[in-house]
Amino acid sequence: MIVFDKVWFSYGLHHVLKDVSFTISENERVAILGESGEGKTTILKLILGLIRPDAGKIIIDGEDISNKSEDELRKVRMKFSIVFQEGALFDSLNVKENVAFCLREYSKLSEDEIDHKVRELLRIVGVEHAIELMPDELSGGMHRRVAIARSLAACEPKMFLYDEATTGLDPVNADIICKLILDLSKNGRGLIIVTHKIFDAVKIAKRFIFLKDGIILFDGDKDDLLHSTIPEIQIYLNEVNFS
Amino acid sequence: MKIKERISELQDFYLLSTRGLLGAVRKPFYFKDMIEQMDYAGAGSFIIIILVSLFIGMALSLQLAAELSSLGLKMYTGKIVGISIIREIGPVAAALVFAGRVGSGMASELGSMILGHQIDSLRVFGVDPIKKLVTPRILSSIVMLPALTIIGDVVSLFGGYYIAVFVSHQSGTFYWSSIRDVLTFENVFAGAAKPFIFGYLIACISCYMGFSTKGGSKGLRTSTTRAVVVSIVMIIVSDFILTRILLYVLGFSV
Ligand SMILES: Nc1ncnc2c1ncn2[C@@H]1O[C@H](COP(=O)(O)OP(=O)(O)OP(=O)(O)O)[C@@H](O)[C@H]1O
Ligand SMILES: [Mg+2]
Repeated sequence: MIVFDKVWFSYGLHHVLKDVSFTISENERVAILGESGEGKTTILKLILGLIRPDAGKIIIDGEDISNKSEDELRKVRMKFSIVFQEGALFDSLNVKENVAFCLREYSKLSEDEIDHKVRELLRIVGVEHAIELMPDELSGGMHRRVAIARSLAACEPKMFLYDEATTGLDPVNADIICKLILDLSKNGRGLIIVTHKIFDAVKIAKRFIFLKDGIILFDGDKDDLLHSTIPEIQIYLNEVNFS
Repeated sequence: MKIKERISELQDFYLLSTRGLLGAVRKPFYFKDMIEQMDYAGAGSFIIIILVSLFIGMALSLQLAAELSSLGLKMYTGKIVGISIIREIGPVAAALVFAGRVGSGMASELGSMILGHQIDSLRVFGVDPIKKLVTPRILSSIVMLPALTIIGDVVSLFGGYYIAVFVSHQSGTFYWSSIRDVLTFENVFAGAAKPFIFGYLIACISCYMGFSTKGGSKGLRTSTTRAVVVSIVMIIVSDFILTRILLYVLGFSV
C-alpha cells in the first residue's frame, strides 16, 4: 500500500534521503532501522504527506500523494495512526481530553460513552490513574503511552506508524509497549516501527529496512538481518547477541 | 534567493489570512475554541484596556486644557478630546494594547504547538489547523477588538471629563454636550471601522508568525517579538491609510 519510488528529500542543503525506493504492503510488519539523524522520522512524515519529497513519487493505495492538497491529504492520513517520537500530546489539554480528541472530532458519542472509551483505552496502555493529569505532569514513558492511547482512538486505521515507541523506556515498559503494539496488529493490520533499538524491532517486525547515509543499506527479513555481514548492522546485532 | 523567500512568505501569509477568514463560513465550525478565544482576548483584556484608556483620556484632556486655556479656548477641550479619542486615539490605543497582549499570546501559543509537533498531530488526525486554530482567533479578534475599542473610548471620555471638570474647572454639562455634538455618524463610523481591520490584521500576523516558528525557544522568542513588532507597525501604517480613505469616503475636506 505504500510505495516509495526514487524519493529524494533534503532540508536546505542537507540531503536526508537519496533515491530511496521500497514497497510496503498493507499487512506487513516493518521496522525501519538506522542511526540517529538518518531520516527515519522523515520517512514517516513523507508517508503522511506532512512534508513533500523533492523528487520521486510516494504512492499510497495507488494514489500519488506528492502533489496533493491538504484537503485531499486528509483522507490519506486517515488510513494511518501515528505515534510521534515526542508523543506530541496537546499540552493545553489533560490526558482525558487528549485521548478524547479524535472521538469528539469524528464521532457523535455521548459524554458518558467518551468517558468510558477513554478509560478503556488508558487501561489498555496502563495509565488509567493519570486520566486527570496534564501532559507536563507525566513521565516520559507515560507520555508515550498516552500518545499510543490517543492514536488508538483515531478512527480505524489501516496501518500503525510508531516513531521510537520504546526509546527511553525501561525494559519492563518497553516490553509492555512491544506486546501492546503486537496485540494491536493481531488482526492483520500492518505497522511500521521506526527505531534504533534492534532488540525491540526483532520482537515486533518481520521485515527490516536499514537506512544509512540516505540510502537503503539493507532490506530483508529477520534471518537475513541476523546473518548480515554489513559492518554497520553487525554493531547493532551485538545488542541482540548480548541479551 | 532572499527575494524569492520573501515573496513566498507573503504568499503564505496571504493564504493564511484568506483561508482563516473563509473558515468562518465552511464546516466544520469550532464554536468552543472560538468562545475560549473570545474569553481570552476580550474578557481578559478588559481591565488593561480600561486602565490604559482612562489615563490616555486624562492625559489628553490635561494637555489640551493647559494649551487651550492659555489661548482662552478652554471650552473646546471636550470637542477636541472627543474627536481625537473617537476617531484616532481610541482605536489605535486599543489595537496596540491588543497586539501586545493577545497577539503575543497567539504567536507564542501556536509557536510552541509547532515546536511540540502538536500541529503535525492535528494534521494527522485530519483536522485543518487553520480552521481549528486560526479561524477562531481571527473571528474573536474581529469581534472583540471593536467591543474593547468602544469600551475604551467611553472610559477615555470619562477620563477627559474628570480632568476638564475637576482640574480645569469647566462645566460638565458643556463637556458632555460638546461630546454629543462630536458623535456624528461620520466620526463614529470613522472610528468604528478601524478596529475590525486592526483585529483582523493582528490575528493574521500573530498566527502567521506563530506558525512560522522554528529553532527552539530562541525561535519562539523571535516569532513572538516579530508578531508584536509587525502588528504594531502595521496598525500604525494601516491607521494612516484607513484615515486617508475614510476621510475621503466620508467627504471631509483636509
Ligand atoms: N525541521 C528540520 N529542519 C532541518 N533539518 C531537519 C529538520 N528535521 C530533521 N532535520 C535533519 O534531517 C535529518 C533526519 O532527521 P530525522 O528526524 O528523520 O532523523 P531520525 O532518523 O528520525 O533520527 P532519530 O533517531 O534521532 O529520531 C537529521 O540530520 C536532521 O538534522
Ligand atoms: Mg526520529
